[in-house]
Amino acid sequence: MYRKTIFIKDTDSQGLDRTKEFYNKFLENLRSRNLQNDIQVARAADIGIYNQGIVLRVYGEDTIYVQLKETDIDNIISLTIEKNEIISSLQYKKKDKQLRRVLRNCGVINPDCIEDYLANGGYQGLYKVLTSLKPEEVIKELKISGLRGRGGGGFPTWMKWDFALKTESDQKYIICNGDEGDPGAYMDRSVLEGDPHSVIEGMIIAGYTIGASKGYFYIRAEYPLAIERIQNAIDQAYSKGLIGEKILNSGFNFDLSIRLGAGAFVCGEETALIASIEGKRGTPLPRPPYPSVKGLWSKPTVINNVETLANVAYIFIRGAKEFAKLGTETSKGTKVFALTGKVKNSGLIEVPMGTTLREIVFDVGGGVLDNKNIKAVQTGGPSGGVIPAQYLDTPVDYENLSKLGSIMGSGGMIVMDETDCMVDIAKFYLGFCVEESCGKCAPCRIGGSQMLDILTRISKGQAQNHDLETLSRISFAMQKASLCGLGQTAPNPVVSTLKHFLPEYKEHTENKRCPAGKCLDLLSYKIIDEKCKRCGACVRICPVSAISGNREHGYSIDTQKCTKCGQCISVCKFKAISKE
Amino acid sequence: MDKLTKDNFQKAKNDSVQKKTNWIKVGMSTCGIAAGAREVYDTLTEEVKRRNLNIDILKTGCLGMCYIEPLVEVCIEGVPHVVYGNVDTKAALGIVDKHICGKRVMNDHLVIK
Repeated sequence: MYRKTIFIKDTDSQGLDRTKEFYNKFLENLRSRNLQNDIQVARAADIGIYNQGIVLRVYGEDTIYVQLKETDIDNIISLTIEKNEIISSLQYKKKDKQLRRVLRNCGVINPDCIEDYLANGGYQGLYKVLTSLKPEEVIKELKISGLRGRGGGGFPTWMKWDFALKTESDQKYIICNGDEGDPGAYMDRSVLEGDPHSVIEGMIIAGYTIGASKGYFYIRAEYPLAIERIQNAIDQAYSKGLIGEKILNSGFNFDLSIRLGAGAFVCGEETALIASIEGKRGTPLPRPPYPSVKGLWSKPTVINNVETLANVAYIFIRGAKEFAKLGTETSKGTKVFALTGKVKNSGLIEVPMGTTLREIVFDVGGGVLDNKNIKAVQTGGPSGGVIPAQYLDTPVDYENLSKLGSIMGSGGMIVMDETDCMVDIAKFYLGFCVEESCGKCAPCRIGGSQMLDILTRISKGQAQNHDLETLSRISFAMQKASLCGLGQTAPNPVVSTLKHFLPEYKEHTENKRCPAGKCLDLLSYKIIDEKCKRCGACVRICPVSAISGNREHGYSIDTQKCTKCGQCISVCKFKAISKE
Repeated sequence: MDKLTKDNFQKAKNDSVQKKTNWIKVGMSTCGIAAGAREVYDTLTEEVKRRNLNIDILKTGCLGMCYIEPLVEVCIEGVPHVVYGNVDTKAALGIVDKHICGKRVMNDHLVIK
């Protein structure tokens, strides 16, 4: 058995990976002191610290050294390893931004095993609620916690429950909204797959509080594994008596079943979701009345998002005060984000509310891919907006994001670099909403396709400046007059890109140029004769034979034939092909 | 399975405590499976069985580090408790050979957080 284990890794992404050389030198030094059977050194694939040169960490200790040179090895071994002395000039303090509450059991317990969940403190919240709290007291606790809906709107959860509790009815319902549809977002899927019982626990607590005896999971059919694991978890909870009749001898009965969504984005909207469960076509209805008063089969219904319900379980297991310790004035607790796009460490992260975007992208996400410059971060999916790089130090909470013209949304966070064109992004998100529009109300149905038409013309260089004004006018009409959230928020990506990146739009309309080099119709490929070494690599790779010429006279691209696939650029070692 | 009641609930919690060491966890949510976690799980199971080792191989949900899936967490007595990323079948065999039998952490796949 080794006395100490040392991890090393070169965290500079520019240039060559020096981990192996450093490792060999380190090992050599250990051998020269005859320590190789005492101390083990290992190369890491990810050491949790980024852009800090060669990093060394000692297993089981807080010691982290960064920016190491080979000349430091001798000192590290003789001081830190042999005498346990810290070399303060090399030391680094890790900023630990992640905090796993909703994801506390994801990757820790076996999701198919209720015993694992119980052993980790699961269903303790339910036990506490059923044995010692009245519904009014549950709502009071929830109010103290300050929990707000994690599905996007950020409506206080306790208020929703309170409306439903105060509405008299012989039958009430709880629905868990697992119809996660934003491009690039998969927080709910991971929670459903990794910790199904925490969501079930939240649902039973909600059912007890508002007096509902029936609950539904609404999960999109594209999540087969989530459905399988939730069904298995429901079966286990039934056989343990945690769902069913007289749960924990309390006299409270609760039944739970799954309904599948057929893939319509609008069914994530609560009134459309209810229609879908009722077996009707998934189109939204005007609100009010809100579902808390008149919902499923016209009965009071509480619809909560997956992450909200997982938070409910946490609140009653660990206490509302503990929950409210984290976060900002108006937004408490943590938020799970699906960090994707041009970021090194894409994945699922959970950070306290109030963490800045910069910390999320650079400390947790490890920075931008290929060390390009960050241009913007998109949050909130098709209903959200883009936040330009100059606002990266904004603490993330519901209010701050809406001030910047975006929304918290369900938690999709897409990092964009300088090669992403904002017109193209706006077109992509709007196109998504146009396809998903149910067509019931005119502002969304007509407004969306008109806007998409204008954006397409902008990206082809066929638009004028006055088209930008038209875009703003249609956006305003859609936001004010659409029936449901889908239409009201569909213009958001356009509005926010227009607000923050107007010069980029104007480059497209006035100069017919795409500065990011994304809009194909505005680009033409050219060989820069001075840089060209006449190797002929581009000629060989071109799939449409658009490049002609020879070694003596140089090469040229036939713009008529060129399909702008970009393969010539990727093979040219001399950067002799321009795209403008 | 016995039904839980108000009285036996806390006892059930204590009954179901997991083994402290000598286990391997494989992250098997959609993301992990898409990256090849199922093959890794099968390889680990076969290899552990072939060598007749007393190691539990468990399935868990997503650990969150999608950029470096499939992820395998290894907790063996006397060896540092670590997570390995980008594990393929070859690396899975390496984990059994080097980490479990050789009692030494394996190079190039470590994910330290």
